[in-house]
Amino acid sequence: MSFIPGQPVTAVVQRIEIRKLRQGEHLILGFSIGGGIDQDPGQNPFSEDKSDKGIYVTRVTPEGPAEVAGLMMGDKVMQVNGWDMTMVTHDQARKRLTKKNEDVVRLLVASLLCNASPFVQTEFAI
Amino acid sequence: MFCRTQTTRAAIARGSALEMEIRRGKFRRSVFLDTLQDSDIQKKIDHEIRMRDGACKLLAACSQRDQALEAAKSLLTCNTRIMAYMSELQRMKEAQVMQRVARRSDGTRSSDAGPMDDRLPCKGKVAISDLRIPLMWKDTEYFKNKGELHRCAVFCLLQVGGEIHDTDMVMVDRTLTDICFDNTIVFSEASPGFELRVELYSCCSEEDYSAGSAPRKLASKLSSSLGRSAGKKLRVAMDPGACSPTSNAGAATLLLPGPAVAGPKYHLLAHTSLSLSHVQDSFRTHDLSISGNEECSYWVPLYGSVCCRLAAQPHCMTQQMMSGCLKVKLGGDPPSWTNVYGVLKGTNLFCYHRQEDMEANVEPAFTIAINKETRIRASEKDPHSKAQSICISNQYGGEEVTHTLSADSREETHRWMEAFWQQFCDMSQWKQCCDDLMKIELPSPRKPALVTSKQGSLYHEIVIDTSDDISTVTDILTRRMQELELRSQLGTSPPWMSLFEESPGGPRTPRLARHSPRSPHRLPHSPLSSLRCPWPGLLSSDASLTSDSDSPCSTSPCSRHRGWAEPLSLSSPRFRPRTLSLDAKLSTLRGRGYGGVLQCSCQPPSSSSLAPIPAQCVPQATLSCSSSTSSNSSSEGSHSPSSLDGTPFSRPSSARRSLRNLRAKLDPRNWLQSQV
Repeated sequence: MSFIPGQPVTAVVQRIEIRKLRQGEHLILGFSIGGGIDQDPGQNPFSEDKSDKGIYVTRVTPEGPAEVAGLMMGDKVMQVNGWDMTMVTHDQARKRLTKKNEDVVRLLVASLLCNASPFVQTEFAI
Repeated sequence: MFCRTQTTRAAIARGSALEMEIRRGKFRRSVFLDTLQDSDIQKKIDHEIRMRDGACKLLAACSQRDQALEAAKSLLTCNTRIMAYMSELQRMKEAQVMQRVARRSDGTRSSDAGPMDDRLPCKGKVAISDLRIPLMWKDTEYFKNKGELHRCAVFCLLQVGGEIHDTDMVMVDRTLTDICFDNTIVFSEASPGFELRVELYSCCSEEDYSAGSAPRKLASKLSSSLGRSAGKKLRVAMDPGACSPTSNAGAATLLLPGPAVAGPKYHLLAHTSLSLSHVQDSFRTHDLSISGNEECSYWVPLYGSVCCRLAAQPHCMTQQMMSGCLKVKLGGDPPSWTNVYGVLKGTNLFCYHRQEDMEANVEPAFTIAINKETRIRASEKDPHSKAQSICISNQYGGEEVTHTLSADSREETHRWMEAFWQQFCDMSQWKQCCDDLMKIELPSPRKPALVTSKQGSLYHEIVIDTSDDISTVTDILTRRMQELELRSQLGTSPPWMSLFEESPGGPRTPRLARHSPRSPHRLPHSPLSSLRCPWPGLLSSDASLTSDSDSPCSTSPCSRHRGWAEPLSLSSPRFRPRTLSLDAKLSTLRGRGYGGVLQCSCQPPSSSSLAPIPAQCVPQATLSCSSSTSSNSSSEGSHSPSSLDGTPFSRPSSARRSLRNLRAKLDPRNWLQSQV
């Protein structure tokens, strides 16, 4: 999500339900996470506040279960199946998402939407 | 020598006849005969004396520091036990004396008050486990202390009445945040008024400075060259009398605390006393009284508290206090009775149909609760039956339920009443322990001490698959050659290359023809064509040498050649793999177009808002993002393998990759990303 200083931004919190896909003996969700309380938050390219140690989605595999469910890159994961993800280590977060006995994960994610949408800009350009 | 009415303790000279007498167990100082209890204790004392002698011999004989510490620990325990037994013996003697004196003087005085007053509560098992003592190291210990790790050996001595147990020894140094003792110690016969004394002993474990052996000058020299705190300890140890005397010599006893042995000596570091009020089914923290200060050699910086689980199982909760046949009144008019076999255990009176049911562990017919809220009274004599009946009333959720029991005979009824009263007495004395049965795990048989490997870094424990040695070496070599190729392609050559880079121009070709047969042989690379820049430089400078003189220089170009070539081939294996690959990797990225990387770092936010994200762009963006920011290429070890495509390197062997992954994970500079 782009952050243009001076422009109003809105954060949207939504619930995303991802059904895991079985690949061999692994259950995959199709995205990558970064962050955690044991990681350096300054290197997080997606966070607004560079001291935010939350878990962010850094990559979404195209056509994967996460993309199908509507997860976008840069989303911040707040909860996974009711478990809090705002104060966890990176490994704890990974473990909460990859539990073998769970087929579905329900995430609470926060996405940023920039108000200045590109569509509006092109209109004026004409 | 001994005055009967006064309690005195005297030190007995070693080797004197008196001591020999005592040692032989003929301790008949008093005029009274040895009672059975006395002989019991006597046997224990003898046993401990023998153990102590063994420990002394072991201490004198052992050479290793660990063994010496263990032996010193057993010595201290034996001494403490001996002291405890001796004092108990003394107390018993005194009690006997007082009793006999009282009886003799006043014949009528006897201690048979009503059975209610004289009731003694039952004994119980007290267990202490999971002792943990937090430490509070100062930052000066970490940062300013350059010397050896200052280590102390600590252990705990636990005492309830006459029972003394010690825990295992733990070595403490500044890498430890808590002292943990894993032992569970169970004291089998403890009264409700028990006092569990916990004492923490420590002894510093550096190379022994037996006081006075090294001359002062040497000591001061040593202390200046050792680490700060180590030197301080050494100086303190050299200075006798600085620290408080050992607790061993504290109380004068009838028996000397053994022969003075050279060896490690434990000092009391902290102590505390626990009693019934501290008993709980969970962990609790208690305060420690610390003796000793920073200047002592045996000092360990304690936080000041001890955490443990103190549980108690009174016998009334675990054993059957009373059992027998009873008759329980059921309702109806005239009231009917049913026969049951009653067992009083813990907070319940279990009523079984038959005695065999109880032995067969069948569920009881019904259970009557006997707890603090229960009221029991004996009703008046029933005109029909001869015996009194017992009414037990309980409150079950607001409703009062009364059971009426009757025993076969008056004596039985009396015994049951006695049992109930005893139960009440126990429950009032043991208080919270009677609410619910606390679990006590029996200590498992001692496991042999695990041999701890030498302190090494985590990397020493990583097993690298050495099954394909040759392939990894050739792997490395080929990779190294390719890296070097690329580097010279990009123009960033190793610094020593610049020596040969003068005069790239000039008449190259004739010289080249002359020297060409030699050059390819020297160099290990096959694709020479790609290398243009440095080689002609070498050849031309080479040629300039040979033009002057023939004979001596016939060897020199060769040697120079070789001299130049050899370092290349020899030094490449000598290069550490990490730096080369890092340099080369970054240079390849640079070569690919650093601009592209810069673009990507600010693009991803906007690109994701566009609807379709091209599949190739995303992994690439993240790859460059992560490597363009801080640190090293090893961060990509955590990415999915697909992102590594397109790099010029052959895929590293799986062992290297896992090692790299581990290092990536452990490196705090990386911002980890995980695929889920």
